[in-house]
Amino acid sequence: MHPATPPTTDAPVGRAHRTPLPRRRLLRGLLAAAVAAPLMFGAAACGDDGSGAADPNAPVKLSIFWWGGDARAKLTEDALALYTKKHPNVTFEKTWQANQGYFDKLATLTAGGNPPDLFQIDDNYLAEYAARNTTLDLTSYQKSGKLDTSKFPESLWQYGVVDGKLAGLAAGENTQGLVYNKTLLTKNNLPEPTTGMSWEAHIAWAEQVTAKTKVPGTQDPSADYKAFWVWLRQQGKDLYKGKELGFTAEDVTAWFDLWKGARDRKATPSADIIHEGNSSDVTKQLVVTGKSATSWVWANQMPDLKKNTKDELGVIAYPGDPSAQWARASMYWSVFKGSKNRDVAVDVINFLNNDQEAVTLLGTDRGLPSNLDLRRVVSDNTTDPAMKQSIAVEAELTQKFGPSPQVPIKGHSKVKSELIKAAENAQYGRATPAEAAAQFVEACKSAIA
Amino acid sequence: MALTTAPDPTRGGPGSVRAHTRRRGPGRIRHSEGLAGYVFLSPWLIGLMGITAVPMLLSLYLSFTDYDILTPFSEAQWVGWANYERMFTADPSYWHAVRVTLTFALIAVPLKLAAALGVALLLNRAWRGVGLFRGLFYLPSLLGGSVALAIVWVNMFNRDGAFNSLLGLFGITGKPWVNDPDWALETLMVLAIWQFGAPMVIFLAGLKQVPTELYEAASVDGAGRWRQFRNVTLPMLSPVIFFNLVLETINGFQGFTAAFVLSNGTGGPVDSTLMYTLNLYITGFTDLDMGYASAMAWVFLLAIAVITAIFFSTGRFWVHYSDGEDR
Repeated sequence: MHPATPPTTDAPVGRAHRTPLPRRRLLRGLLAAAVAAPLMFGAAACGDDGSGAADPNAPVKLSIFWWGGDARAKLTEDALALYTKKHPNVTFEKTWQANQGYFDKLATLTAGGNPPDLFQIDDNYLAEYAARNTTLDLTSYQKSGKLDTSKFPESLWQYGVVDGKLAGLAAGENTQGLVYNKTLLTKNNLPEPTTGMSWEAHIAWAEQVTAKTKVPGTQDPSADYKAFWVWLRQQGKDLYKGKELGFTAEDVTAWFDLWKGARDRKATPSADIIHEGNSSDVTKQLVVTGKSATSWVWANQMPDLKKNTKDELGVIAYPGDPSAQWARASMYWSVFKGSKNRDVAVDVINFLNNDQEAVTLLGTDRGLPSNLDLRRVVSDNTTDPAMKQSIAVEAELTQKFGPSPQVPIKGHSKVKSELIKAAENAQYGRATPAEAAAQFVEACKSAIA
Repeated sequence: MALTTAPDPTRGGPGSVRAHTRRRGPGRIRHSEGLAGYVFLSPWLIGLMGITAVPMLLSLYLSFTDYDILTPFSEAQWVGWANYERMFTADPSYWHAVRVTLTFALIAVPLKLAAALGVALLLNRAWRGVGLFRGLFYLPSLLGGSVALAIVWVNMFNRDGAFNSLLGLFGITGKPWVNDPDWALETLMVLAIWQFGAPMVIFLAGLKQVPTELYEAASVDGAGRWRQFRNVTLPMLSPVIFFNLVLETINGFQGFTAAFVLSNGTGGPVDSTLMYTLNLYITGFTDLDMGYASAMAWVFLLAIAVITAIFFSTGRFWVHYSDGEDR
């Protein structure tokens, strides 16, 4: 008697494991067809090069893609609706998502031959895309006045120039902002930090905060490229010089040592909390979650932070000489080079930056408005206290700003993630600052090669 | 897998079709039936060719090029073996990812199978309510590679997560498990082991098929519980163990979702959860180095094929397919 023991047990098992596969394949097939079809049409569209000489009133469906939260989505949708109201032939296919995963998606869309006509991008990726000829050079539109930058600070639109081409137009301006928990400080009778404090003074202040409040005084920013960048510029160095690194392993060691000292003095949280801050989005920064008294962010993120805490927040420049900071394009609007609606896309960018109604609607969500005249209008009329605060700080800093650095080069996203890895290696005590610095510089060199 | 390819007339493999048509005779009918077979297969075949085979071949080609996914295929630069050379000689983080993946698979897979077999043995009895327990133990694996589950896991094993609160009840100070480079991978292993439901169900089905007279005969011969398990259960179950081992090893190597979610897509803290597939994903989609990522994928495919082949070749020493005739 042998009911063919294992084989019969196995048959249903085998089947149970196998049936879902074809269906999944089928789904994948449908997905691929969906991806492939626009690819073919996209290719056809590139071929016929219908760059807008056609009927200006012909219906146009413009695809647009950005990252951000619900609030940004609402504002942007309203502003685009306004455009449609003025140009009834233009409608939008809007896609938006959180920042995490945004660039993976954008790269995949581009690879699939189905990139959006118009997309939001930041300086971490602008050069990656521009160097690969994915973005449309906006220079000719700027020259012809179709893209009006006459009211922009010159350094701001220039921060969108990569290899002599205007690869993206600043959708707003921001700068590094050190955000601190005002409520916590007042409650404990502690002084607020001020712009211009030296790094040493900042760390000493943070140590005092930790001692008195039991909340670590400052997030350790050694993994944060923007803090490292400001510090480098104060040392007369830079993140990049041409196609090379603008710093040496010694600089990185000094930077890591500075923060090792701060950790030893308990001015910062423990390594795992620092890591939590490094790997969370803006809504979960430590100053908001109550795990440190300060966080290193961009000044225009104030309203986002404010929404996630009941405490009062203050914002100042990063420590050291504030002239190391610059008017940074918080993000850009770029047009896909192969877009058949590129003229319309450029006109939409122009509208979002220079139309008073649209700019007032958008407020400071993407940073201070790039158009200086309209920036004044917005700051005069805003009622949101968090927005007011970030406008005030940036207005004050504008007087102190130094010249813009060059836009980060191709390979920058890897440099950013390598800095996090190296800094955390030092924070967890798995490497000395000098070892971590040497690894980092080595990794950077191959990343930008 | 050997089992599923064993000739089984009820499943209508190619052998049975031939036997069937030979009885009918004329080749024309055979031809048209074959055609019908292919027509029925066609949705799957089209899927296989279009979605699997063509992209696979393309990726093989891309693995020999310098290709970032932003530019068209046609502009990919042929670089010969450079990607493979870089992988084997100049990329420490690649080897780090290999180490992480091997550690994960070597620990998580055996423990998962042991847990699955242990619980299957416990549930292979006629208790009241045993069905409920079977369901409960199977539940976690239904949640499979789900993102939601990984998020729950991260929150449970945080510094101020539920697990540490539990430890706190016993006066133990926990660690920030998921944010500690010494423990993050272990946390992922526990998650993988916890989802032992699928192999457990397969083991249960296997246990049900072990003829009771073998146990009776063994106990007549004086074999105790352990001897029965060792000499009856394990050999009779060995094909099922083999099947589970192969499947779970492949699954273990391909672990991605939990590591991705836990580390926010970075493989951190300090690369402690940088699984092979995650490293590949980062290389291709974040660093935009798709040519190199394709090369990684092909080496991975070969590695898994080799490991599976090793399993199959050692299988004949311990997998017991006999159904009694040669005993």
